[in-house]
Amino acid sequence: TPRKDIVPHISVRRTPCKTPSKILEHARARLHVSAVPDSLPCREHEFADIYTFVKSKILDGTGGCMYISGVPGTGKTATVTEVMSFLRKEVDEDKDFPEFTLVEMNGMKLTEPHQAFVQILKALTGQKATAEHSSQLLDKYFTSAAGRKQPIVLLVDELDLLWTRKQGVLYSIFDWPSRPKARLIVLAIANTMDLPERIMMNRISSRLGLTRMTFQPYTFKQLQSIVQSRLEGLQAFEPDAIQLAARKVAAVSGDARRALDICRRATELAETAQPTGKGKGPLVGMKHVDRALAEMFSSPKIVAMRQASRQEQIFLRAIATEFKMSGLEEAPFEKVLIQHISICRLEGLHPPVVSEVVAVCRRLASCRLILLESSTNELQQRIRLNVSQDDVMYALRDHGE
Amino acid sequence: MEGTTASEMEDPLSILCRQKQIALLRSLMGEPSHPTYPSVFIYGHAATGKTLVVSTLLKTLALPHAFVNCIECQTTRQLLDRILDRVANHEPSPENNYCSLNRCENMNTFVRLLKKTTEDRGIQNQTVYIVLDKAERLRNMDGNILPAFLNLSQLSGCNVCVLLLSQIVWEKFLFGFGSNHVEPFIIHFPDYTKGELLEIIATDCPEGYSVEFYSSYVNLLMSIFYMVCRDLNEIRHLAQLNFPKYVEPITKGEASEKDSHKLWRNIEPHLKKALQTVYLREVTSEQWEKFQRAETGQPGQQTSQPGILSARAQMELPFYSKYLLIAAYLASYNPARYDRRFFSKNHGKVKKSAVNRKKETSHQLLGPRAFPLDRLMAIFYSIVDSRVAPTANIFSQISSLVTLQLLAQVGHEDQLDTPKYKCTVSLEFIRSIARTVGFDVIRYLYDFVK
Repeated sequence: TPRKDIVPHISVRRTPCKTPSKILEHARARLHVSAVPDSLPCREHEFADIYTFVKSKILDGTGGCMYISGVPGTGKTATVTEVMSFLRKEVDEDKDFPEFTLVEMNGMKLTEPHQAFVQILKALTGQKATAEHSSQLLDKYFTSAAGRKQPIVLLVDELDLLWTRKQGVLYSIFDWPSRPKARLIVLAIANTMDLPERIMMNRISSRLGLTRMTFQPYTFKQLQSIVQSRLEGLQAFEPDAIQLAARKVAAVSGDARRALDICRRATELAETAQPTGKGKGPLVGMKHVDRALAEMFSSPKIVAMRQASRQEQIFLRAIATEFKMSGLEEAPFEKVLIQHISICRLEGLHPPVVSEVVAVCRRLASCRLILLESSTNELQQRIRLNVSQDDVMYALRDHGE
Repeated sequence: MEGTTASEMEDPLSILCRQKQIALLRSLMGEPSHPTYPSVFIYGHAATGKTLVVSTLLKTLALPHAFVNCIECQTTRQLLDRILDRVANHEPSPENNYCSLNRCENMNTFVRLLKKTTEDRGIQNQTVYIVLDKAERLRNMDGNILPAFLNLSQLSGCNVCVLLLSQIVWEKFLFGFGSNHVEPFIIHFPDYTKGELLEIIATDCPEGYSVEFYSSYVNLLMSIFYMVCRDLNEIRHLAQLNFPKYVEPITKGEASEKDSHKLWRNIEPHLKKALQTVYLREVTSEQWEKFQRAETGQPGQQTSQPGILSARAQMELPFYSKYLLIAAYLASYNPARYDRRFFSKNHGKVKKSAVNRKKETSHQLLGPRAFPLDRLMAIFYSIVDSRVAPTANIFSQISSLVTLQLLAQVGHEDQLDTPKYKCTVSLEFIRSIARTVGFDVIRYLYDFVK
């Protein structure tokens, strides 16, 4: 069968996107994660650091590496992209500032680590080659500066995915900047701070050098100012509501995307809520943010246990009882079965047959409320709870009788 | 199923004792254009007519179907290709170089091609039945195969019904898979009762004899075999095999069809012998028939003749290999702390403590234990009377015994330094070996001496 048949594509949008008309719709459009603002608040210091690093290397005509780390949602990629666009603008304005080539690459978008070579070669020269061949070509390219004047900035996002057993890709990427004529500046972005020590061989981490930068998680004040800066000139939120969202997110992860998502959800909730009598239109208040937070942070497991069928609840209780009796956190299916049947008898229910209990057990396992081993030994199969025993007791407390 | 006659193929209603199941299946199938249950799981013991009922029903109603035995399909590709071929009525033959119609590597392609195939044949309005016999094999294939077959009508959008035939219960399928699939409709084929077995076997009555006569013979046969075997195929086979012997007095003119008592006395010892020989396949059916025709002596003597499976009890081994094997047996079944008592000349006093003895279970029951090579050689030298040099020959005989699977090496295969072994032969075997060299094993076994 021809391969051409199965090319994935996204169907074309029939109706154009709605342009926001109301205040809350405006707010929602601005709060969207994709609406990156021109200047990132609360990252001025990091911006300056990266900017001076790249600029000095470009002006000197040398190469170097910088390793940038930080938990997700702290603005690493956004800051680096902003630095690049700023430099690009400077090139356009300032005649003395040298031109540079920017190569962007994301480890997540590669099917295989060695594809990095193919991508870089294509971005630099437009050539297409196999991974091995392009690695050789790139080696030659960076060793001799023949016919090339511009410095190159290589931006590698999600660095940890370029890891291979021999670490050849990582080695090459960090070895090229140290070549005398390469004039290559590598900006590597990853999530963990100790990645060079953890997964890289010594000769790679030493080539990476000591220019490292860590993006700290946002504090609640920073998160608050990020949200506020996006909502400038819009009367959509109560200030306390933003603070609540910021404080909650900062306490858990300090992820800006999470804070924006919660605020967006809160606008949706405010829109569906009954309009208050005041003429100014709906304002997002504390209670909307609170509901959005509850939706996003609370675990659905307790809800799932409350909504489960009676036999499923009895099975969960049987597991908890068995754990309490044996004092272990694991029980074979046959023992839980005995407990299950005795609970049924106590409650005056007709005890189910083994096949039915197996079906109940399988259903609970498929929604990951309990964990099962591999499927070989049926009655001896060991069962563990994926929630704490207290949660089971709490969820089934008022449903038990 | 073997023994299916042409008349049974004509009409599913002529299948005996399965009317309820046939009616249930027929009502599930409905009209060809009706949508059917997406998957039906049929289970029951061996020889309860699962395959017969389903295949006869599909053939007589002339429904488009693909009947595939999962044991014949080693890989996913073979399975899927074969199903598509059968759905398209394509048969691999010398003309088409035994090629399948399609190349179908995975479930994704299969679903696409299934829809195309049904449209090509013009049967998209009819229910297509996919029958997977021995469906328990599907569990060992890729993880997505079984859930995909259960959801096939939903995935492909065709009017398709998957019938799974198996001997094991549904709970043992999909235990680790989660439940994001349609549960199949489950049909149980119960075992035949004694009366039903009788009724079915009576249908293949040989010519020249009345059905009553044959069924009374089968009744006699079952009085001996029903205790150990309820498998229809097996009993049917035995009935056909032993019938010539049963009617022998009639053909000789010594008895008539009415003399049931005489016939019974004639056949009973014969059937009891058959239980021990033919049923366990120690004597092949062919040998058994040949023997019946030759009529030499008693049937039981067959076992002592060569060319019979149980002849494994006698094996020609070199002289020292026999001693090595005996030594290995003694090392496996004797506790090491009694070695001094059995094999050294002046051992210490035997202490008698009745308390300890009672606790020990017989080593014959627990099975062989591993022993190091040193111990084997020590016992070997103590039971062989002459002086034997520990040459390469002796040691290579040990490894030959391992190759012959009379000994088993325990632990790492590549161990040169004090490897451990187990003896894997039975007591009967070792006694017959010991008898040939004139060695009394029983005298040296702790279980029998204590």
